[in-house]
Amino acid sequence: MLSWDFLALQPALPEVFLALSTMVLLMLGVFRGDGHTRIISWFAVLVLGLTLLLVLDDLGGTKRAFGDIFIVDAFAQFMKVLVLIGSSFAVVMSLGYIEREKIARFEYPILFLFATLGMMMMISANDLISLYLGLELQSLSLYVIAAFRRDSTRSTEAGLKYFVLGALSSGMLLYGASMVYGFAGTTGFDRLAAVLDAGAVPVGLIVGLVFVIAGLAFKVAAVPFHMWTPDVYEGAPTPVTAFFAVAPKVAAMALFVRVMIDPFGALIGQWQQIIVFISIASMVLAAFAAINQTNIKRLMAYSSIGHVGYMLIGLAAGTQEGISGLIIYLTIYVFMTVGTFACILCMRSHGRMLEGIDDLAGLGKTNPPMAAVLTAFMFSLTGIPPVAGFFGKFFIFRAAINAEMYTLAVIGVLSSVVAAFYYMRIVKIMYFDEPAERFDRPIGREMTLILVGTGLFIVFFFPFIAPLLEGADAAASSLFVG
Amino acid sequence: MEALLLEYLPILIFLGIATALALLIVAAAFIAARQRPDSEKLSAYECGFDAFDDARGMFDVRFYLVAILFIIFDLEVAFLFPWAVTLGEIGLVGFWSMIVFLAVLTVGFIYEWKKGALEWE
Amino acid sequence: MAELWTGYMLPTVIIVAQIIAIVVPLLFSVAYLTYAERKVLAGMQLRKGPNVVGPFGLLQPMADGIKLLFKETVIPSGANKVVFIAAPVVTFLLGLIGWAVIPFDDGMVLADINVGILYLFAVSSLGVYGVIMAGWASNSKYAFLGALRSAAQMVSYEISIGFVIVTVLLCVGSLNLTEIVRAQKDLWFAVPLLPMFVVFFVSGLAETNRTPFDLPEAEAELVAGFNVEYSSMPFALFYLGEYANMILMSAMTTILFLGGWLPPIDVAPFNWIPGPIWFAAKIAMVLFVFLWVRATFPRYRYDQLMRLGWKVFLPLSLFWVFLTAGVLVATGWVPK
Repeated sequence: MLSWDFLALQPALPEVFLALSTMVLLMLGVFRGDGHTRIISWFAVLVLGLTLLLVLDDLGGTKRAFGDIFIVDAFAQFMKVLVLIGSSFAVVMSLGYIEREKIARFEYPILFLFATLGMMMMISANDLISLYLGLELQSLSLYVIAAFRRDSTRSTEAGLKYFVLGALSSGMLLYGASMVYGFAGTTGFDRLAAVLDAGAVPVGLIVGLVFVIAGLAFKVAAVPFHMWTPDVYEGAPTPVTAFFAVAPKVAAMALFVRVMIDPFGALIGQWQQIIVFISIASMVLAAFAAINQTNIKRLMAYSSIGHVGYMLIGLAAGTQEGISGLIIYLTIYVFMTVGTFACILCMRSHGRMLEGIDDLAGLGKTNPPMAAVLTAFMFSLTGIPPVAGFFGKFFIFRAAINAEMYTLAVIGVLSSVVAAFYYMRIVKIMYFDEPAERFDRPIGREMTLILVGTGLFIVFFFPFIAPLLEGADAAASSLFVG
Repeated sequence: MEALLLEYLPILIFLGIATALALLIVAAAFIAARQRPDSEKLSAYECGFDAFDDARGMFDVRFYLVAILFIIFDLEVAFLFPWAVTLGEIGLVGFWSMIVFLAVLTVGFIYEWKKGALEWE
Repeated sequence: MAELWTGYMLPTVIIVAQIIAIVVPLLFSVAYLTYAERKVLAGMQLRKGPNVVGPFGLLQPMADGIKLLFKETVIPSGANKVVFIAAPVVTFLLGLIGWAVIPFDDGMVLADINVGILYLFAVSSLGVYGVIMAGWASNSKYAFLGALRSAAQMVSYEISIGFVIVTVLLCVGSLNLTEIVRAQKDLWFAVPLLPMFVVFFVSGLAETNRTPFDLPEAEAELVAGFNVEYSSMPFALFYLGEYANMILMSAMTTILFLGGWLPPIDVAPFNWIPGPIWFAAKIAMVLFVFLWVRATFPRYRYDQLMRLGWKVFLPLSLFWVFLTAGVLVATGWVPK
């Protein structure tokens, strides 16, 4: 006889709430029609906010639910907070855009919510099966919103590419998971850790692990599985790209970290080399490939690949300090990416969206406040003090050096220098080139709010360092203890 | 395990015999009848006209939609089978878990209905 | 050598004998079902039906078979030869192998697997392949369109069949067909689950492409659909396969709702009649209703057909699953 204790739903309360509210909103939307998209979007933001409160409600301690396939610890809670913040920013940023571009259908915010639910499930996964469940829920919702603009070939192409390649990588991940299960006899992370700590590890399991890493590296868009990123980021509608660059990245990184540290922590000797390779490849490729780009969304795609490379340095170090650095970098990355995309969403002229870097020419003269904010974001992306981006890189490189991965740190710094070229080129174009067309004003209250919020966070980062460091340390330590 | 497989042996033999029978029937037709193919007999039937355009053309996406909806509900049925059989052992917890599952799929069904995915066919 | 005989050969020979004991009467019944259909339809339309070939026209199916045998098998130009021939073989095959798990009496079943009903469900789902292969391989637009419509129809009604089977399973607690029949010792399931009985029967009509759901293959519509390019024995195989499927569906209806080989009341005069006779009688009764429906009702238009399957049967059977499970759990009548 099963008993109710088996389910132990309490730790999963945020997810349950999110799922129920999303379905309620879906019913609301389908009975009220597309005209109510804006209201549903604001409800969606409200739901995300309430979920955030529920996540923060029960801090401290590690709890498991659904019979050990679902785990809630400080790391999961931190990551979920980031995901929820990223998602709500993305929904708010989309409001004006989808109405202007005539793609305002009520399914839009609901798909965002479902993707967020999948991400939260991924972050809390304590079993290979629940990992896959969350991953697929997130991925399927993202495939649909990548192709949301049905009448545009670029958008449908982006969605189709994302779907095909994503399905392939999910297949690889599942194959690896099945091999791990076959050689270890269990899919749960706790039991896997026990099995791997115990004795000799069969080669088949290592092969399975490599496949799992390949699947996860795709989701996180690390080289050599990054092929889909520039095309999908360019083709998808811009607020959707903003969402892609932020929330799934956080969730996939969190998943990557948890899978590498929790069950496979004992195999660090095996996977460390792979992560080092992926990290170097990502940083270097992003640095060089972005130089030639003229489309700002593609540039941001390569930029995100590069940032993933930097974050993976923290994972490659394999120490608690490394993970803590990764978490800090991730937080800063979320805010600066959201800010940059908010600026990109303001690049509108005569009602048409502009995507070329050259369209930013002369922004210093035509719109000084926006240019200043964008400059701050560019400095942060490069990693120039005293803006936030520098601190992210600082903590990552410090962790690498403390773990004696000197080559990795040096390559990281050098690729940063190379990457500085295209970020600084944008600043140069804004201030030193002849002005192009003026952008449309006004940019909307929500956009201004986001720009101001993220801009302040990035520029005046000093007061945030200490609490962020504390939170990141708590999160990282929960991962290594539990 | 062996006993379980042995239960299925008659089915395998039945499959073999039925396939042999069917192929025998088709072969009998080839042997018994006079085959005199000519181009008129072999052309596709179009009420006497020459074929208008290629048979391997496009087909309506509605059929694809029906197929996808079928997969979803068939999987729901597939999950219901073991639940229905073991309802005695899993008690109230099992009952309500499945009801939650069915409720989520019903929400999806209502969405389909309202969006018109079940129309015009 | 002796072990080889008793261990392997003898059981195989016994199984083959049992298979022949199923297949021969089955093919016979299929052939005479076509005759019965024509006679019943004729009677309902106040005419005589076949009465020329043999006494009372009883040799009509034989005559039809021989005629089809001596016709030329036309394989259209551009058709994919292998798939073209494989399609009727598959349809006929599936009509036959479903019978491996049907219990004719207590213990009289070829393969008493404990997932019998799942096997039957799988076999009926595979039937869609035969139709699609036929339509696609014919290299004809009409065949392809007819096949798609037929396949979409079969697939739509399979879902409600699945849900109805689940309601029966809730009352039984086992997937084994013999168990399902035994569970109806006191009361046939057609009584408490009457709406599901009706849904199952009508879905069975739709699943086998029978009137009033025979739009995809009626001769007057879309030139007989997916089998327009077929002639001679491949056509005969389709025909035989369809009727075998019909009998299989009737058998399923009988097992699930009408108590299989059990007599209506377990008292003296009824008990003397052996189980298989009751089973055959019930199947005959259900088949008669199949034919009766054909004589009585006009054809559904395709969109009406799909509407019925998705918007009426599916919600109804889904609701009934909720209801049955709820009632069983609430009253504690769940079979252990």
